[in-house]
Amino acid sequence: MLLLDFSRRMPQKSSPVSRRSLDSPSAFFAWQFVFAALAALALAIPASAAAQATTPVLLDAMTTELHRAFTLLGRPGAGQPDADKQLPPYFLSYAVSEATSVSIRAQFGALADSSSNHIRVADVQVRLGSPALDNTHGDHRGSAVNSLQLPLGDDREALARSLWLATNAGYGTALDNYLRVKTEAEVRAKEEDSSPDFSRETPQDHMGKPAPPVAVDRAAWEQRVRALSKVFREFPDVYQNVVLLTVQNETDYYASSEGSRVVTPHVQARLVALAVTRAEDGMDLFREQTFEAETVEGLPQQAALEAAMRALGRSLEALRKAPVTEPFDGPAILSGRAAAVFFHEVLGHRLEGQRQRGDEEGQTFTKDVGKPVLPSFLSVADDPTMTKFGNTWLSGSYEYDDEGEKARRVDLIDDGVLKTFLMSRLPIANFSSSNGHGRAETGHVPTGRQGNLIVTSTRSVPEAELRKELIDEAKKQGKAYGLYFEDISSGFAVTTRSSPQAFQVIPLVVWRVYVDGRPDELVRGVSIVGTPLAAMKRILATGDKSEVFNGECGAESGTVPVSAVAPAMLVSEMETQRQPQGTARPPILPIPGAETPGKDASGNAKEAQ
Amino acid sequence: MNRIASIATIAGVGFLAACMSAPLVAAAQATRADAEKDPVLKAMLEELDRNMSQLQLKGFEKPFFIQYRIEEVQEYSTRAEFGASEGSQRAHERIARVTVRVGDYKTDSSGGRGDGALELAALDDDPIALRSALWTATDRAYKSALAAYAQKQAALKEVQTPPQADDFSHEQALVSLLAPVELKLDEAAWRDQVARASGLYRQDAGSRAGEGNVQYSTAVFEARVTTTWLVNSEGTIVRKTAQQYQESIGVGTQAKDGMRLDRSYASAGSALKDVDAPEVFDQYARDLLASLDALRKAPLVEEEYHGPLLLSSDASADTLRELLGSGVTATRPSLGTEARTNGPFASSFHENVLPGFMDVVDDPGLKSYAGKGLLGAYEIDDEGVPGQTVKLITGGRLENYLLGREPVRDFPRSNGHGRAGITGGPRPALGVLKITAQDGSADEALNARLLAMAKDRGLASVYLVQTLGGGLTPRLLYRVTADGTPAGKRELVRGAVLDDIDQRTLRSGIVAAGKDLFVANYYGDVPVTVMAPALLLEDATVRRANQKNEKLPNYPPPE
Repeated sequence: MLLLDFSRRMPQKSSPVSRRSLDSPSAFFAWQFVFAALAALALAIPASAAAQATTPVLLDAMTTELHRAFTLLGRPGAGQPDADKQLPPYFLSYAVSEATSVSIRAQFGALADSSSNHIRVADVQVRLGSPALDNTHGDHRGSAVNSLQLPLGDDREALARSLWLATNAGYGTALDNYLRVKTEAEVRAKEEDSSPDFSRETPQDHMGKPAPPVAVDRAAWEQRVRALSKVFREFPDVYQNVVLLTVQNETDYYASSEGSRVVTPHVQARLVALAVTRAEDGMDLFREQTFEAETVEGLPQQAALEAAMRALGRSLEALRKAPVTEPFDGPAILSGRAAAVFFHEVLGHRLEGQRQRGDEEGQTFTKDVGKPVLPSFLSVADDPTMTKFGNTWLSGSYEYDDEGEKARRVDLIDDGVLKTFLMSRLPIANFSSSNGHGRAETGHVPTGRQGNLIVTSTRSVPEAELRKELIDEAKKQGKAYGLYFEDISSGFAVTTRSSPQAFQVIPLVVWRVYVDGRPDELVRGVSIVGTPLAAMKRILATGDKSEVFNGECGAESGTVPVSAVAPAMLVSEMETQRQPQGTARPPILPIPGAETPGKDASGNAKEAQ
Repeated sequence: MNRIASIATIAGVGFLAACMSAPLVAAAQATRADAEKDPVLKAMLEELDRNMSQLQLKGFEKPFFIQYRIEEVQEYSTRAEFGASEGSQRAHERIARVTVRVGDYKTDSSGGRGDGALELAALDDDPIALRSALWTATDRAYKSALAAYAQKQAALKEVQTPPQADDFSHEQALVSLLAPVELKLDEAAWRDQVARASGLYRQDAGSRAGEGNVQYSTAVFEARVTTTWLVNSEGTIVRKTAQQYQESIGVGTQAKDGMRLDRSYASAGSALKDVDAPEVFDQYARDLLASLDALRKAPLVEEEYHGPLLLSSDASADTLRELLGSGVTATRPSLGTEARTNGPFASSFHENVLPGFMDVVDDPGLKSYAGKGLLGAYEIDDEGVPGQTVKLITGGRLENYLLGREPVRDFPRSNGHGRAGITGGPRPALGVLKITAQDGSADEALNARLLAMAKDRGLASVYLVQTLGGGLTPRLLYRVTADGTPAGKRELVRGAVLDDIDQRTLRSGIVAAGKDLFVANYYGDVPVTVMAPALLLEDATVRRANQKNEKLPNYPPPE
């Protein structure tokens, strides 16, 4: 997965924000049509036949150079005086991501950036030793991958030479790390998990159709993105906003010394809106909303998007004036979207295979296989082969993972009982093979990651009923109110990419639902305390409608697109407190344009046409 | 003012046509009313006025000075490796930088973190969006200025020695409006040109021999046009444009013992016509490849050498930039000290820093020299002060410093050298630094003198540095035979570092200097030109670098 950094040298780097989908099914009508057409096309051409006919030059250059490297590296007769003292690699792979992209960004109601890019990056993976113990062991995992930008186009000589350079450097790193791994293995006590370092898998051969270059009507979308940002002028207290459209068409080429050859496209259009305000007491408040579709045509209509911006603005103005929360320990409902984020961050990450192995890992669930970890009416699967849920496109879908393994559905938790983990080719105790979840951003070693996390329930009730149960539960516990978490953000949304605070959740929109029939009351500054995981065991019932969270997820193997799908959840006990807050004052002068209310809305509406 | 050309006219290079037509708008007579015809300036002035009159936190001081600088950067770069393009990038953004000062000219909030705030600004000339970016940055800058000012007041109470100069200089307000420039290039032609140049190692018969050893061959073309709008609360209004273009190539290999060897060449200027024509550039690239091959075969330098050293004018420009650059710029010394400035020439005012036969002047108004455009030239600095010609060193004596609006003792005013990189705050910096020798010698005379010095000291050989790489490490270093026949025979050696070349060398170790100046244009955030003569040094150290020699490639390159 190649993620382009468009924010080069921008004073304010746009932080990766978590993503959610749009509720409106009608907005996806156009996209569905496109998708159906694509699917039909894919079926019409048998993959193997297509493969024979048109092996891309890039893939051909990759396999040729890979073969040459694999047969020459570290082997006697390679023309090097000390070749016989070296080690040949037992595994070599080239993963090349080629992406074209367009990025359009507006803030304060005007265009701030509009750019396009085309880039090819190769990740060369070299493994020395044996699958049982290789250069990636323990905290040497990163030593498997060396990355290099590749020339565009079909110049075989230039491609081969770049790959040679990257492979040679990668081999050097691998060798150095392997020697250290061997020494460390000799001096340390036996490891708790003595699984091998690399699983055996069947080679894959799949020639997908390379993604076409991004086609976006730049001028039209510049105008649309600008107009969306301009909506926030109606909300003078929203003192920062960013609307960002990124459209990326990527093709992943994979070749390995085991004989795998895989070509898969991954295309995605994403619109992100972020708006920020600050309460009079200095508390920073933000809302963000994202829209994903396979292509830019699949994004919602402009009117729907503008309405969504307006809703964000209104929400922030309401939050600014909302009372600050008080410590609370009682029943709560997580909306479907909030539950999806919650399950992704709190449960999903802990089910990643590599977290069950290694001294630094929490190993929360390592010993829990076959045991109940959730109430028995809940099941959790991860299914990257699912491309949409209802009418919503799932951004965590893929055909092959970043180790060239075929994506597949994995039933992680059945009726509350833990069955397995999200596996890359890093084996762990009792789980020796990949289940097609080895994912990584370019430049990283793939690890077990989520794709589309799907939570299902057999104890579901209509949402009105769920709300009634919340009130009953609050009464039972002697509380004046229960909490309704309408929107929560993953912690990653507000931290830097370099220090991903995965597993954290930040409630953004929380309501008090009073038992005495008073209207619901919005509160701000809510933060969840205690182990969020504990809350999961206290789920009493779920709603009967599922919602989708589409997002970008950051962890050790980089940022990858993910989705999570869950129904609303009633939890018997959720402990919250007031979040630590900033002390900076709100801006002293009003935002420009707000001095004479009314003038801007009309004046600028004209400009926008 | 853009006297350099309207259109590049190098024969056979049609694609070099950039839009250079930047007609001069009546600069001297321009008024605020003229400025307000520019929507960017109009928005800036409106927001500036609003903040100057209204921005105040209850119980705290108002700002006494606000400056807005918006830079519109249009950038293009294209890069190729091993003969094929890796892609091109076009960037276009506007960045607002806001400086707010609290206090007064004598003592204000400047220094530390009270320097300013940045914000991405609208590319559209939308007044509300432009003002919004300035508004939010001003708010942040003002709040941090208040904090910085309080800290400064506290710090002043802790020292006995008062500051040696005011915090901020008084300057004449200035209105100057030059027309902005669009970056226009034949992008496809440049993409192909760098692709071709980076593949010369495999296409050219003369270079083909060394092909197997080339470990990288990267060519890059980059262009940057920056339009700056600057307004301040003293009434200064400036619109100006700077242009930079550069084509460069780097090639590298390893010697048989593993030593990394690199060569690079760049051609840069403030107009496209300053960049080498393709055939000229390619010839440099071929020479580079040939020299890389020669370096591979060259012997290691001796372990240590002390004696005379001749720096070519090329090597001298790099050396003098390094050694003089940090000394001739005046910056505020630490609070509580009596120092005038920082750096190696902090206490050298009116002292000898070069031999008596040498002069140094920084003249940002010098736009070309010997037909070559000078990248470091500019009209007005990034604090709205016209760049002045500053005679820094006369007859070897340090007589002046380069200053922005931050005064130092005895230098209460700026001389127009407050320069800023994109997003950066202004700092005193070089513009066009010209180093000359009275009665400079021809190259032959310098070479003869070098050999004569060798004879006097009984040395069998001496050294000549032709080019330097980063960290003043020689890339092309020749051992020159002093005795035997023929005397003056040059042999390329590799693996050397220079030592004992410092400000003391400049003061008392320069025996002679050349008469011809090498023009070094340094492309970068703050572009600089250094013009320097060859220098013959009395005594320097050349020794073996003894760097780690990395392993040779583990397997041969593809055919």
